[in-house]
Amino acid sequence: MTNAIKLVFRFGPIIFAFGFLAPLAAQIIHASGRAPPFGLSPLAAGLIIGGTLGIVAQIRGRWV
Amino acid sequence: MSMRDLSSLSEKELYRAERDIARRHVGKFPWAIVIGAGINLAVWLSLWPLVILAGCPIWLGLIVATICATLSYLASHEAQHDIIARPGSKLYWLNEAVGHLSTIPLALPYRVAKVTHQEHHRHTNHAELDPDISSSARGPLHAIWRSIENRQPRGEGAFNAYGRTLVRLKRYDVLLEGALYRLGWLGALIALAWSGFAIEAALLWWLPHHLAYTYIQYYLSWAPHHPAEETARYRNTRSFRAALGNVLSLGMQYHVVHHLHPRIPLLRTGEAYWQMKPLLEARGANVKDL
Repeated sequence: MTNAIKLVFRFGPIIFAFGFLAPLAAQIIHASGRAPPFGLSPLAAGLIIGGTLGIVAQIRGRWV
Repeated sequence: MSMRDLSSLSEKELYRAERDIARRHVGKFPWAIVIGAGINLAVWLSLWPLVILAGCPIWLGLIVATICATLSYLASHEAQHDIIARPGSKLYWLNEAVGHLSTIPLALPYRVAKVTHQEHHRHTNHAELDPDISSSARGPLHAIWRSIENRQPRGEGAFNAYGRTLVRLKRYDVLLEGALYRLGWLGALIALAWSGFAIEAALLWWLPHHLAYTYIQYYLSWAPHHPAEETARYRNTRSFRAALGNVLSLGMQYHVVHHLHPRIPLLRTGEAYWQMKPLLEARGANVKDL
């Protein structure tokens, strides 16, 4: 179990990004009433936004 | 007693006088804090149905949730010092219940806070041993930035510092509990988000956690220990005049009393401070600002 917990913490930024930021971005886009570019669905746009932020944070070790 | 009278007292006599004042305040049941903790948690919990079902504006929810998350630490802090009830006493369960439950809005695991906070008291301002030393900063804006920096995934402070402290103390049980608690929080945020409540989860829990943590670190860690250069008992904490006043600085203007006598309830530290001040001055404490 300890190894599993360590693994989750190691990939914390990516898990947080895809698990939380992506649906958050999607719901903000949906609530704003604006359509994402290139015919993307709000969820697809959310996954791109959240995923990009998460991968960058994972590599840099920081969000800001 | 004037400073002139005090100068004739030995260190032992000064300490005895200080201890006698402290004794007048220790052991008083902190009713307001315990009841306040219950109300605070109830208000935070009630925000969820109010925002999701009853049309309460989400911006109002964010403000109230941030206040709740900030206040939640104060009750937990009393419990961390066993002020509500001592270990082995009949009401110790209440002390622990308040400790565990009060910080749900802040998503702070109580036992991690308790063990690491006791280390902070033992080693205040020590460069290696104080888990909160990373909150030291050059000034107010730098302190806010440091608090944000410390919470980054590979930051040097906050939960990363607490983890290192627990490993050093070999408190793997508390470390595991804290890790599971944080994973539980992450899981709850993810579950809420994928259930269609991401904005509510962000503005009622995630963002309030970060805003409150920054505020708490500013007033509980940075301000009372600034410049965090001395480790001696009477010099590692100071009294200060907060720009926002004593209430909005969470009662931390008198934090020097808390470090000298951690079992004095928060709401009595002000009174104790003014009673002790001449003694603190005689001991060379940093009390010139207030």
